[in-house]
Order: sequence, then C-alpha cells, then structure tokens
Amino acid sequence: MIRRLTLRILILGMMWIGLGLLKLDTEMSRLLWQALIFTVIVLMGSLMEHLFNYQGDPYILPVVQAIMALGLVFVVRINPDVALHQFWWANIGQLLFYAVLWSIRDYRYFGRFRYIWGLLAVGLLLVTLLFGSEEGGATSSFRIGGIGLQPEEFVKLALLLFMATYLEENEELLRVGTVQWGRFSLPDWRTLRPFMIMVAFVLGILAAQKSLGTALVFYMLFVLMLYVVTERTLYLGISMPVFLLTGTVGYMLFRHVRVRVSVWLNPWQDPTGMGYQIAQSLFAIGGGKILGTGLGNGIGASTVPVAISDFIFSVIAEELGFAGAMAVLVLFLIVVMRAFAISIRAKDRFGQILAAGIGILLGTETLIILAGVTKLLPLTGIPLPWVSYGGSSLIVHFILLGVLLNISNATAVSSHTTKNRGREYAT
Amino acid sequence: MRGVRQVALGMAFSFFILSLGLVYWQVVRADTLLQNPANRRLILMESRVTRGGIFDRNGEIIAQTQILNGKKVRVYPKGEMFEPALGYSSVKLGASGLEANLADWLLGIKNATPTQAVQQLFALPRQGDDVVLTLDSRLQSIAYDALKGKMGAAVALDPRTGEVLAMVSQPSFNPTNLDQHWNEIISQEEKRPLAEKQRPLEHRYFSLFPPGSTMKVVTSAALFRSGINTTDLYQCQGSTIINGQVIREQNDKAHGWVNYNMALAESCNTYFATFGVQAGDQTFLSVVKGFGFGQKIPFELSLPRSSITQEAKNPSSLNTNLLAASTFGQGEVLVSPFHMALMTAGIANHGVIMTPHLVERVLDPSQDILFQQKPQPWLTALSKEEADKITSAMVTAVTEGTAAPGALPNVQVAGKTGSAEPGGNVPTHAWYIAFAPAEEPQIAVAVIVENGGTGGGNAAPIARQIIQEALNQKVGDKK
Repeated sequence: MIRRLTLRILILGMMWIGLGLLKLDTEMSRLLWQALIFTVIVLMGSLMEHLFNYQGDPYILPVVQAIMALGLVFVVRINPDVALHQFWWANIGQLLFYAVLWSIRDYRYFGRFRYIWGLLAVGLLLVTLLFGSEEGGATSSFRIGGIGLQPEEFVKLALLLFMATYLEENEELLRVGTVQWGRFSLPDWRTLRPFMIMVAFVLGILAAQKSLGTALVFYMLFVLMLYVVTERTLYLGISMPVFLLTGTVGYMLFRHVRVRVSVWLNPWQDPTGMGYQIAQSLFAIGGGKILGTGLGNGIGASTVPVAISDFIFSVIAEELGFAGAMAVLVLFLIVVMRAFAISIRAKDRFGQILAAGIGILLGTETLIILAGVTKLLPLTGIPLPWVSYGGSSLIVHFILLGVLLNISNATAVSSHTTKNRGREYAT
Repeated sequence: MRGVRQVALGMAFSFFILSLGLVYWQVVRADTLLQNPANRRLILMESRVTRGGIFDRNGEIIAQTQILNGKKVRVYPKGEMFEPALGYSSVKLGASGLEANLADWLLGIKNATPTQAVQQLFALPRQGDDVVLTLDSRLQSIAYDALKGKMGAAVALDPRTGEVLAMVSQPSFNPTNLDQHWNEIISQEEKRPLAEKQRPLEHRYFSLFPPGSTMKVVTSAALFRSGINTTDLYQCQGSTIINGQVIREQNDKAHGWVNYNMALAESCNTYFATFGVQAGDQTFLSVVKGFGFGQKIPFELSLPRSSITQEAKNPSSLNTNLLAASTFGQGEVLVSPFHMALMTAGIANHGVIMTPHLVERVLDPSQDILFQQKPQPWLTALSKEEADKITSAMVTAVTEGTAAPGALPNVQVAGKTGSAEPGGNVPTHAWYIAFAPAEEPQIAVAVIVENGGTGGGNAAPIARQIIQEALNQKVGDKK
C-alpha cells in the first residue's frame, strides 16, 4: 500500500515539477483544476486498488501513468491552449480504465460478440470514409458536435476483440493444416476465408484513407496474432510476400506513398520542401544530444510540424536528450513485455490471446511511429500511445489497458481460488 | 506459449534497434545535423543570447541590444557614423563588420565565464560580453561630418599604441532597422549609372588606391639608405626624362633649386624619381617591405595587402620605368588608406609601426575585464634618424609647402599631400597624411577623397579638423 502510493506520488511530483518548470502564467490557472483532478484520480485509483484487493500486475499501471504524465507535460509545453482537452481526455480515460477494470466480472464476456466486433470495425471505417474530413492528407478524422473523432482508434479495439474471439474459436483449424500440398499442410480455405476477407477489406479501406501507419499497425497485428496463436512459421512466411505485394501495389497506385518513400531515402535532397517533416524531426532529435536542451528550451517544439501528435517524440528527444528518449523507450518496453507476461500466465486461451494482442498492438504502434521519426522506416503518422495529443487514442488505449489488467487480476485471483473450482486451463 | 515468447523477443530486439537509431542521431550525427543549412538551430540559439554592447573609448554606446515591447532590438544610436566598420547583425541578413567579427565576444562564447558556460550548456537565456573599442566618437563624428557628401575615407591612429581612433568610409548606410531598409539600399545602388555608384557597403579605408605623392615619405627612406646628402640641391625644371620616360611635375611647375626637405614639401616628382632610380630597385623594395607592402596587416578586420606591382607578392626586382613611377606613388602601386595611416603612424612613432587594433577591452556581464589590449610593435620601418628627417620635411610641407591647408595654430603638424591619378580622364584622388604634434605625436591621420582633386585643398582640411579635436581633447583631459 505504502509502496503503491509512494510510486504514484513520485509520478505526480514529476508531472507537477514539469508543469512548474514551464513557467505558464495565464494558461496554468485554467489547467490547474484539470491537473488537480488528474492527481486525485491517480491517488484515488491507487486507494481503490487496495480496497478492492487488486492482485494483478503491479507495474503496468504506474508505468503507463508515468508515460501519461510525461505526455501531458509535453502537450502543455508544445501547445498550452489545447492541453486542457488532453487533460480532459486523460481524466475520462482513467475513469474508463477503472470502469473496465472493476465492472467487468469476466473478460470472456467480450468473446460473445465476435461478429458484432468485426461489423463494428468495418462500419466505423466506412462511416469515416463517407463522412470524414481530411486532415494532413489522410481521411481519418470524423467530427461529431465539435469533437474530432479518430474512428480508426476505435477500430483497433473492435478488431482486436474480433480477432481474439475468432482465433480462439478456430485455433485448431488454423493450427493444423487440413489441406496437404506437398510436404506442407495448409489450413482449410474455408477457415481462413472470412479472416482474409476481413483483413483485405480493412486494408483496402485504409489504403483509400491514405492512413498508411494505421494500415501497417493492423497488418502487423493480424500477422503476429495469427503467429502467436498457431505458432506456425508458415504464416510469417506467407505474410512477407503479401506485405511486399501490397506495398508494391500501394507504391504504384498512390503518389503520396511514392513521395513518402523517396523522402525517406533522401530527406536532405529537399529539406525545406518534401523532406521538411523528417528533416526537422531529425534536427530536433540531434539537437538534444545526450542530456537534452532542458524542458521548454528546445527549438523543435516550434519548428517540427505536428509536434504535438505524430512528432511528439522528437520534441521529447530534443528537450530531454538521449537519456530522456531512452527512458521513454524503456517505459514502453516494460508495458509491452508485461503484457506478454500477462498473456503467458493467463488461465484461459481467450485471455492469453487477448493479452498478447494488446501487447502486440502497443508494441507495433510504438515501434512504427518511433522508427518513423528516427528515419528507420518511412514516416507514417500515427499517435504515440498515451503521449500524443488526441482524445480517441487516449481513451482507446486506456480501455485496452483496463482489459489487460482485468485479465491480469482475474488470473491472480483465480490462481488463489481455483484449487477447488473447475476453470479451464491453458492448453 | 512459444509464439508469445518469440514475438516478445522480437519486440525487445526492435526496441534495441530503435535505441541504436537514437544513438546514431543524438551522438554520432548530432554535430553534422547542427551544421545543416536547413537547420535553423544555430541562428535561433543565438537569439537566446542578449548580444553584448559595443562602446567607444569614452563609454558612449555605439551598439546595444535593448528590449522594446518584449522584443530584442539592436539599436545603433550613432546612426551611419560608424558604418560600415561596425557592420550589422540580424537573423535575416546575417552579420558583417565588427558585429560579425566580435560575435564570439558579443555572444559570450569566447573565454566564457563559468556562468556563461553553464547557461550555454543548458541553452538558458544569457548575456554576452561588452566590447569597448579604441574608436573615439568625437573624432569619428568630425571625420564623418567632413566626409559627408563626398566619397572617401579617413583613418586616425594613436601612433604610440596602434589604437584606431577613427575609421570612416563615406557614403555608407544607417544600420537602424536595416532589415526593412536593406532592399531599398540595394535597389537604389543598382539603379545608379556606373559612374555614379556610391558603393555604400564598401570599406573604403580598406580599398586599394594609388597613393600618389604620399608615397614619397616611403621613398625618402630609400634615398637616405642610398647615401645621398639631403642638403644637396637639385634643379627641378618641371619635367625630366628617365630611361626614355618623361616624368612630369603636377601642372608642369618647375620648383627650381630644391634640397630633400624642399622637394618633399613642394612634392617634387623629378627629385624623387631621379634619386629613387639612383638608389636602385633593391633598396626601394626592401624599404617598402619594411613598411608592410605585400604583407598581411594584423588587425581585427581583414584588409587586402598593399602592393607595388599588380602581383600581390612583393616583386624581386623592378624595371627602371616602373621604379621611377613608383617613387611618387604612381605606376602600379596600390595602398589602402588604412595602411597609409599605419605608415604615417610609423614615421610619427620614430620608425616603429605598432600593431593596429580596434578592441580596447572586453567586459563580462558583471563588468569584470575579460580581455585588455596591450600595445605591440608590428614592424620597424625606419631608424630614429630616418624618421626624424622625414618628420622635419613633413613639417616643412605644412609650414611652407603643399600641405599648408593642414596647418594648425600653436601646434606643429607634419603632413604630406598626394594627388593620385587613378587613370582615365577623371579628377585625381585627394590624399593627405599627417601627424601631430610633430615633436611628440599623439595622432596620425590618413584621408582620401575619391576624385577630390588636390590633397592640400580637399583632404588636408578634413585631417586638420580631426587633429585639432584630438589635441584639444588631450589638453582638456589634462585639466
């Protein structure tokens, strides 16, 4: 109990010091209440864990809260005017997280609606495509009552739940090849068909939306979840040519893909034009050197385009330096690794698949955007979970976190009490 | 569970690769990125520094950064007077002149104090160092007023220390709000026909001109070293022929019987050509080398080398015709007014040319002295006897000769005029060099007015005003 609270107080202290260092005058008074509410939620949540006897993974939530606190400080630093919204979403997100953690008695309840999840995912994308507004070359946002929504974030949630349910149900069919082809045994075409159709549809729509990063996240999620469940290297083997083929078709069909790739190969050719984003991002990261310029002293916050969402990591790397950027990497790595640990310990197959899926989703998202801003991969604009500005992303990731810790808690509780009860065991 | 472990391992490995990417950009390539021209970090970092002020030797503000309505503004209360030597500094135009040359001090980078070093490390707002110049606003303003409307330059030095007291080039430009006026200055200049170009950005005190008769003070040393008796008389007939080349006096005036003193005072070309050729090219070339021709002048701002021939390096020999023309500063001889002032100062300082400098001292933000200039000799051009002989002839020039318009009551001034032919059918450049008081010199001056006519009529009065002000001041200082 004391340790839990000390940890939270440390994290909150970090946030308050960060906010204090930014020397905000007028904006601060507006942010003060939201920052206080954030503080209260974190502390009350910690108490609640004690009261409800939370026994799940003790590391993930504090680490995510640390990431969240860092993200809030940097959103305030980059644009204090919109930071108020981010505090709102962070607070709502945390409340939703606790709601998911405590109100869902059995996470297997999610598994009941597999086709509804799938339809929801497709429907959300279609709605965006038809009614969405264009932002930064990608048709991916959607406005309702003045609030910009990013439906693709909610699609992640729906898709993850659909895949977990579907894979659990059809695991055996996928695992054991039903068609013999030479030495290989291929899965029955009928088993794979709806799955393939689903994925092709999602990818197609995303290609039309020009949101490459999200398409890549979905594709990686699909391939890796399939591999985790079936443990057949064949799927990884098939995924590569499919990826290359899709990539080549995309490259030939869409001009913006070609631009992305050529800019990635040589951003210095035209650092003030096409290569501007990535060049500015690298200038900012390089400007940080080892210890960084110090919070609020970086130049990238004003020169890097969309610094508040896609490129927020570049700003962090400049102001906190290599030391700070590595700390962020390690925090994300901890979350992802703990998610896999939860997956391994989970008592039933659905929990295992779902937890692994959440780990894969968080890991791929983080890797794709961070590799993009550091020019390891072509740049694809997706938000960095819990850090980038954006309500939809925050809320979806808090819900995912709630599901993950719900699984973890259930695992721990059942391991105490299942001696006499007949619950399913992991296969 | 094997699949989950493998995927986890793959993720961990990818994060590791990502961290290598960070090492690459933040450690290996950090400096290369900073140097990229598209990266505005260096310029913007500079904007965090409150640039130090520039002051004249009496503490008057020449340039200062002030905060007006929360914005940093570089103000130049003296306007055009100190340009183009002072230069400018702006994000848009970059920097030039002293503003560029002293940037290390003004930005607090050079010999940074521990406080400045820490502020630099963490990119905190900081204060640069203040630079105190050797320039004297009062002399600068007199030279500026006198040259206003003309095209020319004036340089004043303290011959004992090498301190530059005034350095004016006209026409110039006003550095205040230069960002807005820049295009206007450039387009106005572009519209002017070639003959009327004003070249407002040119540092005329560093530009090369034929020195004309002012060169005779240099040639004098060659004459002495060839062993001629300076009291011997020579009959000037208005022109002479040396090696088939006709040497003419100005306006073909015959000076009659002249000794060395009178020849310099009357600026007799035939005397110097005849005895200069007699002294020989080797003596002449060793003398001009001793005065700094063909050599890089050590100074805060860079200036071109003065030259005897069209080649920048000193030649190993001169043919007789070129030597004869060089003795009175025509032929291919080119000198900058700044170098001319230095040579004058060398004569005034008994033959020793002091290293010129513009920076008197540098003060850190708490006004502790970071750097203090010390006088250092540069060249020994003349022996004391040679210097004394030239001085006495230059005094005669002022009392009885062509330099009479440079005379001052109660003070003995040593001067020499020059009317240099720039080539082509245009008026001569008016030159004048002088120092005073002749017996104990405190100031040495060189003035040029481009196409200004005769040195005595058009350059000497400007120098006279500068010398007068400088000596009045010294008397005043003693009170």
